[in-house]
Amino acid sequence: MARVAREMVERSGINVDELLHLLVNNAAAELTTFYYYTILRVNLIGLQGEGLKEIAETARIEDRNHFEALVPRIYELGGQLPLDMRAFHDVSACPPAALPADPTDIQAMLQVLVEAERCAVRGYTHLCNLTAGKDHRTYDLSLAILNEEVEHESWFSEFLGEGPSGHFMRRGETSPFVGKFLR
Amino acid sequence: MPLHTFTRQELAHYDGRDGAPAYIAYLGQVYDVSRSYHWRNGDHWVRHQAGADLTADLAQAPHGAENLRSFPVVGILSDESNDGPPPIARLDLPGR
Repeated sequence: MARVAREMVERSGINVDELLHLLVNNAAAELTTFYYYTILRVNLIGLQGEGLKEIAETARIEDRNHFEALVPRIYELGGQLPLDMRAFHDVSACPPAALPADPTDIQAMLQVLVEAERCAVRGYTHLCNLTAGKDHRTYDLSLAILNEEVEHESWFSEFLGEGPSGHFMRRGETSPFVGKFLR
Repeated sequence: MPLHTFTRQELAHYDGRDGAPAYIAYLGQVYDVSRSYHWRNGDHWVRHQAGADLTADLAQAPHGAENLRSFPVVGILSDESNDGPPPIARLDLPGR
């Protein structure tokens, strides 16, 4: 634990134990999403599925990176991950991104993907709102993750016909915002 | 059939804990959020517990009241007190 770092956050008025619950729950959402997106990605087959496969894979890897970036901050603040992985799964801040009943239904697959991202966007917006001007490090991390989740949402939303995202899919390395926390 | 009128004391019993239903109030209406993933055990994003009037909290939330549209309205909220809480119907929901 980084004792003084935790004290600074406490002194700013943040309930650190509440913040840790939120960070752990969001870390659970990231790791479970990484798992469920693996299943979704392998099922994105055929002419329609193939077009989505690369974008789903990028979102999957970046969500795993979000988990990796959150873990050190949890421990810095004096928290920990649950020792039982099943318990960790069950505290996920977002519902499981479960494979639809008909995996060939691309609209249904996209709905699962976009709803998972929307849950994440709300979650990290909430964390940013809580920590802005108070816990600078968690804010920086939450903002970085939020930037990537917003892009994920926009990609899937565009495929759903909800209008242009303004983005092109990732060129180069994944996690352009979160990458600095992974070095 | 008229909706039940909840006092704040009554509403507090519907906190989603120990099998109790999870009800929240917003702008005078009481919603049953028991079946929502985001209200498991009456807990919402760590900082909110069911059984309360969350009108002020929703103003700070990263989402709007449109999220409540999918939940059934089970009553209206009154500020008057009553003689005691009504019997609580415990829900046996899968996974809870």
